[in-house]
Amino acid sequence: MRKKFWLFSLVLWTFLLTGCGQSLSQQSVLENAKQANTITWGVKGDVRLFGLIDVKDGQQKGFDVDMAKLITKHILGPKGHADFVTVTSQSRIPLLKNGNVDAVIATMTITPERQKTVDFSKVYFNAGQSLLVPKNSPIQDAYHLNGHTILGVVGANSVDNVKKASPKAKVLELQDYAQAMNALKSKQGEAMTTDNGILYGLAVQNPGYEVRGGTFTKEPYGVAINKHQKSFVKAVNQAIDEIKADGEYNRLIKKWFGQVPGFNYKELYSK
Amino acid sequence: MQNWINAYSWMNIRFLLMGLEVTVLISVVSVLLSFIIGSVFGIIRYSRIKYLSAVVGFIIDIIRNLPLLLIIFFTYFGLPNFGFKPETIPAAIIAMTVFESMMLAEIVRSGLNAVDVGQMEGARSVGMSFVQALWYIILPQAYKKMIPAIISQFVSLIKDTSLATIIVVPELMQHAQVVYGQNANYILPMFAALAVLYFIICFSLSLLGNFIDRRLA
Repeated sequence: MRKKFWLFSLVLWTFLLTGCGQSLSQQSVLENAKQANTITWGVKGDVRLFGLIDVKDGQQKGFDVDMAKLITKHILGPKGHADFVTVTSQSRIPLLKNGNVDAVIATMTITPERQKTVDFSKVYFNAGQSLLVPKNSPIQDAYHLNGHTILGVVGANSVDNVKKASPKAKVLELQDYAQAMNALKSKQGEAMTTDNGILYGLAVQNPGYEVRGGTFTKEPYGVAINKHQKSFVKAVNQAIDEIKADGEYNRLIKKWFGQVPGFNYKELYSK
Repeated sequence: MQNWINAYSWMNIRFLLMGLEVTVLISVVSVLLSFIIGSVFGIIRYSRIKYLSAVVGFIIDIIRNLPLLLIIFFTYFGLPNFGFKPETIPAAIIAMTVFESMMLAEIVRSGLNAVDVGQMEGARSVGMSFVQALWYIILPQAYKKMIPAIISQFVSLIKDTSLATIIVVPELMQHAQVVYGQNANYILPMFAALAVLYFIICFSLSLLGNFIDRRLA
């Protein structure tokens, strides 16, 4: 009796875990979006400049969000509707795979590792990783961090990059950028690392801290899309090209990064 | 100091209160549902119905010994694989209800067991059926004994709703994260505000529990 029960539950679980979930990849996200006249985007909710919920009206705002709105208009036409779901670095891939969102535009670097599970559009933003340190810090760049403790954020690849530059650096991962910043202030680590745009944003609010050593990685951000959605990837790529060609892209860069002191936003302009 | 004043601007506080609303909503719905389901499961396990009680006991034991965080992950990321795709708030309510029901089921069962066996025997011997004896004699006594345990379980339920930030439910903790996402210097003021808000809700629930306890005693 007992043996039969275990056998039965084993069969049931293998069925449940493997049998379902096939149909999702066979549906065309692009066709569904066109029918509903809506694209659902996964964006960040707590990252300044890229995707931050505005406490006044509860809407997500930032460069990623504006990009998503533009891409939506270019794919679906001026009446196309963009829906936003807040994601985190940990939840964005599962939500994409489960079909909760059609695409993710959330400070997501294109990496070979991630390309195994999702497809990416072409690069829509060129970030680079840098270091934020107290002004009196002896740390000069990312290649001499052995023995120092470096703070990062979970789910992001920034900590791995530090390990590549300085293999003996100690790293500590926190839940979000504000927590990492506070860990830096309370001396839990000697430097904080993530993409430079985010660091400049933090430096503005925290005099006594500065971005140092330039960028030591290239972090090309892409729009993540589920596998087997070639038509959708193509449509997004085309939209990005159009946005760059007609000058809307540079306008957005200026809107979000023009006010950040120390940040040479013109470098980001599309040529 | 300026950071604290800016952090407590009306806009930020209003946003926190909107989060509090969702926390209260999730808590109230989960409390009501888990009270009903937990009672049913607890009574079934207590009643020693052939097979059914064993199966229910098995389910209770499994779920009670899993971390709530895992159950939250499963409802949000796992269920869509089985064709059911809940939004964040329903997913949080389902996860909290499933977990808390099982915790309550054990409280209910131990409350029932704490009622003297003589009560059941007496009721049966005057001709009541098992269900009648349970409903009129055993349950009223058992629930009276359970009140403190149930209230403390509900208090921990309210605090556990903060775990739902992991799936970005727009509740109190997540809204605090958004507020300090604007400015990393708001992190301590926000933690202080969270402490005050959670304390107010949980402590008033405890007071309510004491009040009911005294009324029934």
